[in-house]
Amino acid sequence: MSLLSALDHEHTVARPGYSRWLIPPAALAVHLCIGQAYATSVYKNSLIAHFDASQTAIGIIFSIAIVMLGLSAAVGGTWVEANGPRKAMFVSASFWATGFLVGALGIATGQLWLVYLGYGFLGGIGLGIGYISPVSTLIKWFPDRPGLATGLAIMGFGGGAMVASPLSRQLLELYDSGYDSGNASSVASGGALVGLFITLGLGYFVIMMFGVVNVRVPPPGWRPAGFDPAAVAAKPLVTTANVSASNAIRTRSFWLLWIVLFCNVTAGIGILEQASPMIQDFFRDGGTSTVTVAAAGGFVGLLSLFNMAGRFVWSSTSDLVGRKPIYMLYLGVGMVLYALLASVGHAATGLFVLLAGVILSFYGGGFATVPAYLRDLFGTFQVGAIHGRLLTAWSAAGIAGPLIINGFLDAQGKPGTLTAEAYRPALFTMVGVLAIGFVANLLIRPVSERFHEPAASTPLEGSATR
Amino acid sequence: MSEQQPPPPDGQSVRLLVSWLLVAAMLGYGVVQTAITAAKLFTQ
Repeated sequence: MSLLSALDHEHTVARPGYSRWLIPPAALAVHLCIGQAYATSVYKNSLIAHFDASQTAIGIIFSIAIVMLGLSAAVGGTWVEANGPRKAMFVSASFWATGFLVGALGIATGQLWLVYLGYGFLGGIGLGIGYISPVSTLIKWFPDRPGLATGLAIMGFGGGAMVASPLSRQLLELYDSGYDSGNASSVASGGALVGLFITLGLGYFVIMMFGVVNVRVPPPGWRPAGFDPAAVAAKPLVTTANVSASNAIRTRSFWLLWIVLFCNVTAGIGILEQASPMIQDFFRDGGTSTVTVAAAGGFVGLLSLFNMAGRFVWSSTSDLVGRKPIYMLYLGVGMVLYALLASVGHAATGLFVLLAGVILSFYGGGFATVPAYLRDLFGTFQVGAIHGRLLTAWSAAGIAGPLIINGFLDAQGKPGTLTAEAYRPALFTMVGVLAIGFVANLLIRPVSERFHEPAASTPLEGSATR
Repeated sequence: MSEQQPPPPDGQSVRLLVSWLLVAAMLGYGVVQTAITAAKLFTQ
């Protein structure tokens, strides 16, 4: 069997006895690698110095990658469903690694456009395809616990940044002995950046191959031992029917869920994007903050832990309490927490950290629970493709969240002079954003039967036992 | 598929162990490094 045909969907069907617990680490191998996208700030200043470019010119690299993530997930979702997870993971690994290598070439030759093309454009395609590639497969292997399964994988995306940040710092120090990651004004040489990009590109390709080798789709009709689909279907909003991706985007529920995800992500990104200066501004006394730069960095790290843990804990909890109630928690309790942050967050550092941490856990939970919510509403038939289309909400929120926060803060004064009071208009706006999401979630209803696929045209689900 | 659990394919236990060890090592490294950084919030 040739390498390429081994990637085909029909060669990915699991043999009897194949353990479904091999699928989460396969998915994690991909998500832990592509999660690096959120660790680009580690070498941002070094890139600025190397190219003698502005913050904006370097920031565009990340923006292109995130836009391409949303676009490739939306456009490539149907292709991923048709070709299976193994080919999708391989394509993702190839684009992701090539993105790093082309980016390294751009750094080595001093051509910023090659970094845009490499890490931004090609890497962004790897991000989008990689993000959605294991989702549908996990849901099919874990019909009894879809929230747990997708939570495990999407937790990896949050964890990827936690791995890549310290690893990138240590690699830059290894490749450039004059670089000190503890000194905010120290920048790494171009040669060290080239070494970092090549190391990450090759290393991530190898790790993602673990996912490619291990991933399998369950045989038609497979179901876990002791699993009764009727018990799941008896829950509110859960369907046993299937809806195609093209029909899903014609339903009201899809767009209501799009609004839910958009609002949840917009609110979370508002804190995430501003985390380090925010904690310093909240505890500023007479022009000087009582929180040091290093301590603010510690706060950002703590938020990453809450973000990652929320993806697993809340998504798993949704299997027990249901998808709609868990989003009522994310959005409803989130509103209360944002209001508390705005009004009493400056009272104590511990209180501020706790409030922001729980808010970020809801942000992560929102990402991780949405594939299971889609499965409940639209069935498993093309859930990966539908998920891809829904992720355009992430791209839109990535623009809206920072715009809201930065727009309000720009009107309040200059960075380094702001206080907790300056954040109140932005934070109360986020309460309003969450309220819109809360109402949208309440309005979500089961999808009308006219959008369901005829039973014969979709794969047989749950017709055999094991 | 029958009611009986089919025997696992050869080498599956090793594959399970290596796969979970790989992701545990990566996640563990990330969590420990992040916890060290986060500790600065309470010590500085």
